[in-house]
Amino acid sequence: MIFGAHVGDAAELYAAGALTAEEHAAVEAHIAQCSECLRRVGEAEETVLALERVNAVQSLRPSNVAPFGRRRVPVWWIPVAAAAALIVGLLVPRHGLQTDVATVAMLHSHFAHAQFVGNGPPAKVLYARDRSWYYVIVDGRHSYGVYALRDGASAYLGATQSKGRVSELFSSVATPFDRLELRDGGRLVEAAAIR
Amino acid sequence: MRDGSLEERFSRREATAYEAAFLAFGARMQTTALRILRDPDAARECVQEVFEGLWRRGHSYSPARGALEAFLVTCARNAALTSLRAGRRRRQTEQHLDVDDRYTMEEDPIERERVARALAQLTEGQADVVQLAYYKGMTLSEVATELAIPIGTVKGRLSAALRALRRTLVVGEPA
Repeated sequence: MIFGAHVGDAAELYAAGALTAEEHAAVEAHIAQCSECLRRVGEAEETVLALERVNAVQSLRPSNVAPFGRRRVPVWWIPVAAAAALIVGLLVPRHGLQTDVATVAMLHSHFAHAQFVGNGPPAKVLYARDRSWYYVIVDGRHSYGVYALRDGASAYLGATQSKGRVSELFSSVATPFDRLELRDGGRLVEAAAIR
Repeated sequence: MRDGSLEERFSRREATAYEAAFLAFGARMQTTALRILRDPDAARECVQEVFEGLWRRGHSYSPARGALEAFLVTCARNAALTSLRAGRRRRQTEQHLDVDDRYTMEEDPIERERVARALAQLTEGQADVVQLAYYKGMTLSEVATELAIPIGTVKGRLSAALRALRRTLVVGEPA
């Protein structure tokens, strides 16, 4: 037996996958009977999850990130797209091309879409093919910090602002980036690959 | 669907909860398995086997344990390590090395920095044990042999290291 009345240090060893099959089974049998040790094992598993989150977003890229056109459009995106079309339709004839930099940029660019992948709410970025602007839309009213990365260096683009059912940010920048991240209190929530 | 209800239904072994858990956490589990196995097909198979095993044999999960995601990711990690070690033994027996390194993963710089800061707070002995036992997937006895220290010391250092990492990465105490 690797532990006494309670699992003790074996909780962390169990979560780290460092026990033999017999030791592992002994911990499993014990925590089925002991709520105190069950909680301790659960806490150790949370640490493992935190460590496993390193690499997570980027390594999902090969199989889980598909171009916008191949994915089903979520319901929340439809009113956003409709509103954007309405804005483009109404603002430009009335106020001219100088009034809304986002609208102007979107009207005069060929743009693409990418979906954020991670643990946050559904979110998308529309961006110019020449990467001169990015328009981030997140489902829900919560504000996220938007960071842009290239070659490992990051830049803060700003925080999304609540607008109706979504939170959004438009950023016009001179530097092309290959990745955008949404962060909440500095913690990475989800990321999108810009191609 | 709220995670709480999913966790309760999963603990009651409802079939729809397994499906929902797979949809919610399968990608994360596969990522964990992929990091260890470095083979997308093997990682996918590993996750499927985890769910099949949990369904067939039952499990010790209950909401009192904590987050379902943490439980499942740990299951995936343990299954991948078991597979990796079995493969190592097989290769040692066959005197043949056939490591598939074609699949290389980019690291997330922000999370990497956060974890690096947390790891930097460990003692040198703890960091060595974490590196070998956690990141290289060695068993405790393999680590003890590699570092030429008693297995009890390996256990103590790894356990203390993970508790310290929990304080920094999960509880949020400053690194």
